[in-house]
Amino acid sequence: MKEVVPLAKASDTAIFGSKAVGLGDAARKGLSVPPGVALSGSIVEAVASGEEDAIERVVESVRPLPAPLAVRSSAVDEDGAEASFAGQHLTLLNVPSVAEVSSAVRDIWWSANSDSAITYRQRVGLFTRPSVGVVVQTLLDSDVAGVMFTLNPMNGADECMIEASWGLGEAVVAGLVIPDHYRIDRSGQVLERTPGLKKRAVRPLATGDTVEEEVPPDLVEQLCLDDDQLAELHRLALRCEEVYGPARDIEWAFAGGSLYLLQCRAVTRVGN
Amino acid sequence: MAGSDTAAEVHFDSPGPGTWELDPVHFPRPVTRYWTEIHPEAAGRGTREFAQYYGMLFGGLEMAYVNGFCYHTLAPVAEEEIPQRFQRAEEVFQGKLWREQLREWDDVCKPSSIATHRDIQAIDPDALSDQALVDYLIRCRDHHAAMLTQHMRFTAAAMLPTGDFLAHVGAWTGLSPAELLGLMRGAASVSAGGSDELERLITTIAQDSSARELLNSEDDPAQVLAALRALGGDAGSAVSGYLDLIGYRPLDGFDISEPSALELPDVLIRAIRVAVNGRDLGTSETEDRIADVRNQVPEQHRSEFDELLGEARLTYRLRDERGVYSDIWASGLMRRAVLSAGRRLESRGAVHAAAHLIDAGFEEMRSLLLGSGGPSADELEARLEYRETHRAKDAPAVIGEPAAPPPDPSGLPPAVARLMIATGIAMGSVFGSSEQQHEADLLRGLAASRGLYEGPARRVSGPSEFHRIVQGDVLVTEATTEAFNILLPLLGAIVTDNGGLLSHSAIVAREYGIPGVVGTRDATERIADGMRVRVDGDAGEVSVLA
Amino acid sequence: MAGAPVEALQRVPLFAELDRHEVEQIARLFKERRFAKGETVVREGSGGAAFFLIDSGEATVSVGAAPRTTLGPGDYFGEIALIDEGTRSATITAVSELACYGLTLWDFRPLVEENGAIGWKLLQSMVKKLREAEQGHRPAAST
Repeated sequence: MKEVVPLAKASDTAIFGSKAVGLGDAARKGLSVPPGVALSGSIVEAVASGEEDAIERVVESVRPLPAPLAVRSSAVDEDGAEASFAGQHLTLLNVPSVAEVSSAVRDIWWSANSDSAITYRQRVGLFTRPSVGVVVQTLLDSDVAGVMFTLNPMNGADECMIEASWGLGEAVVAGLVIPDHYRIDRSGQVLERTPGLKKRAVRPLATGDTVEEEVPPDLVEQLCLDDDQLAELHRLALRCEEVYGPARDIEWAFAGGSLYLLQCRAVTRVGN
Repeated sequence: MAGSDTAAEVHFDSPGPGTWELDPVHFPRPVTRYWTEIHPEAAGRGTREFAQYYGMLFGGLEMAYVNGFCYHTLAPVAEEEIPQRFQRAEEVFQGKLWREQLREWDDVCKPSSIATHRDIQAIDPDALSDQALVDYLIRCRDHHAAMLTQHMRFTAAAMLPTGDFLAHVGAWTGLSPAELLGLMRGAASVSAGGSDELERLITTIAQDSSARELLNSEDDPAQVLAALRALGGDAGSAVSGYLDLIGYRPLDGFDISEPSALELPDVLIRAIRVAVNGRDLGTSETEDRIADVRNQVPEQHRSEFDELLGEARLTYRLRDERGVYSDIWASGLMRRAVLSAGRRLESRGAVHAAAHLIDAGFEEMRSLLLGSGGPSADELEARLEYRETHRAKDAPAVIGEPAAPPPDPSGLPPAVARLMIATGIAMGSVFGSSEQQHEADLLRGLAASRGLYEGPARRVSGPSEFHRIVQGDVLVTEATTEAFNILLPLLGAIVTDNGGLLSHSAIVAREYGIPGVVGTRDATERIADGMRVRVDGDAGEVSVLA
Repeated sequence: MAGAPVEALQRVPLFAELDRHEVEQIARLFKERRFAKGETVVREGSGGAAFFLIDSGEATVSVGAAPRTTLGPGDYFGEIALIDEGTRSATITAVSELACYGLTLWDFRPLVEENGAIGWKLLQSMVKKLREAEQGHRPAAST
């Protein structure tokens, strides 16, 4: 089915992929996620093939979303397939023109159908045709962002571990900086606040790109989260566990004073 | 020098005349008393032998232990021996004397050592009476000492052709030793843990699906090993053959304090898994690198380049073989015997734990076993505590006379100069410069994923360089992304400049069960491509070894 | 407009025995793909899964570290990967912005399996190639 739907309507991973459905679940449960739409595997293929009406429909559906927009893949197969994409493809768009939208979606289609992706599939015994969904979502210009685990991944202790830095969460996820390190126990008491070395921040540009900027020297070692923000993060952790279960790996961002959930997955391994 | 000796204050007195330099590379922690008793004499003798064999302008490398840390000094050669040495030095390069030693190693020393190791290994110390165990300990110790001498005796054969290669090619191309050592890849399967037994293990397991299933299961590693051994058919006997070869080898280091492979079944299983499941892109990549360097050598020197490289690669395996098949195995056997003695002493209440006997000197072990005295259980435990809480980085880099600048080889006859330069470079690439040793060569970061791993560092900044990684490399990079995931089956460890415990690199290192140290700040600046590094994921430290 | 230019495809030896209509069917399966300057298009030694036809721009072909030749508009590469997914025999790097049409084996195979005529003609081109290769290895005739 060639479909493009608001995230809250994405519920079938076989059609929209796991990223889209993960965000859809969050939206349906009242967790704040940035606005976005999900494209089914079939419409992604149609856009990549150059079908004009498919492209039109996608452009129409993303136009209302606040810019800039992040266009990302949403893998339909097991998460192993996600790993096979040599480089999680991310395109940023400021003005979603026909050319830009079809180009971004086509790039994602090709990353799922690249030499390495296809041979990886053969090797792991996935003998079906690759299918990939797409998520187009507003990229928040976050002030502070990062990752939170609802348990300590080093020793399994029942506490929240938070790593945070200035700007977009990519700095923490991709390990571009040494982030601030916080730990909160289940009751909400802050156990640790260790400042990192946050020399760089990633920010979205008006042109529809991201850029790495130098952080002003006085902010490099200054804690980027205050106690109020830590309390909000703690509440988010509890809510995610209620909705999804224990041991969550959460990507979050503060933008314009509000806390958003960007991604919520299961923690895959604790300790060694 | 008088002074109060508080628990925190330890004095480092010079062991003798001359300049004594710390060796934190081979001995990053204090050694056992037993080791200090046998190592200096046995190893010193071996170095004197090679110095004479190759006509070198020093008497030998003398070792001494100060507060458990290893120091060495270059002993001078007697004046009257110098003419003889000059003469011999002329013969070294002309006659390629290292080839004689390589032959001796392959034909005589290595097989005979292996035979002796296996004879000693075949005896079960637990089944011996106290007196017979004492005799067995004597046998193990004497064998260990002989093997230490053998190790040092073959040092020059292992390092000279490499040093000669580095000296010449370095001068012709301006490339650093670390970069040039990369051309040795594939020449030494032992360094990468290879052997006939391992080859057989890989082939038989690949063909046996129940063996593969067992190997990849999540069950208790010790039980998995036992089950693999017990398998019928080729796979089972290949596993036994491999475990018999390496089981009593310390996984890291030389002292009897280091645990052997069989004592760390989860590390062993992981290593076997990597060997069986991994793929090696080694050879053609190295050929390309060799061609690349060769092109940088001026045309008139290229055939010499080929010859020098040939000799270096020929002998490169000796670097690790001379240890692995000599004292490293013997050390594991000695440890086994000492632990056996320790167990019976523990049951008699003479020691608090079997492993504490490791800290007894040899005569002390004998006395304790025969009930005729020896250190108290508390004393032995205190020695263990000392060893575990002290590091070479806290010991002075130099004791005794200040280090003199290296002698100028330009006044010497050409063959002698060539010899000394090659030796200097080879030793430098092993020991590094001692003044900057600790700080220059130890990096600290966040302990992101536990475990210990030693291997060659590979600086890779992004997907365009992925093809440079081969099996067993340590990835050194600014930061990782999902793109790096495909490298994981090949990697022994991950080291990054940036990142926290929740960053991508930390998460994948834990998932893959390989040691990871992140947030080091400047690993990519301080670790050059090809350098041998040790990654300690528990301590959050990375040491540069060579 | 979707698909690759038919005239360009007709020049590919693998498709030499197909008629225009059959080539059109294949042409429709292609998708545009762009590469930035300096980007690696395919890497030597990696598994191959797609065939490419260049529309605009230039690319170099290297084997080992050595550049061998340059490709431009109308040139193509990787057709063997459509059938055997073997390893790429060369590295191809875009030296300018490169616009291609690409066809993956996943899109190609069903068409061939369903269309016996196309399959037969592909076989004929392959056999032709085999004969040429064999003749190349035989020692030169004495006459």
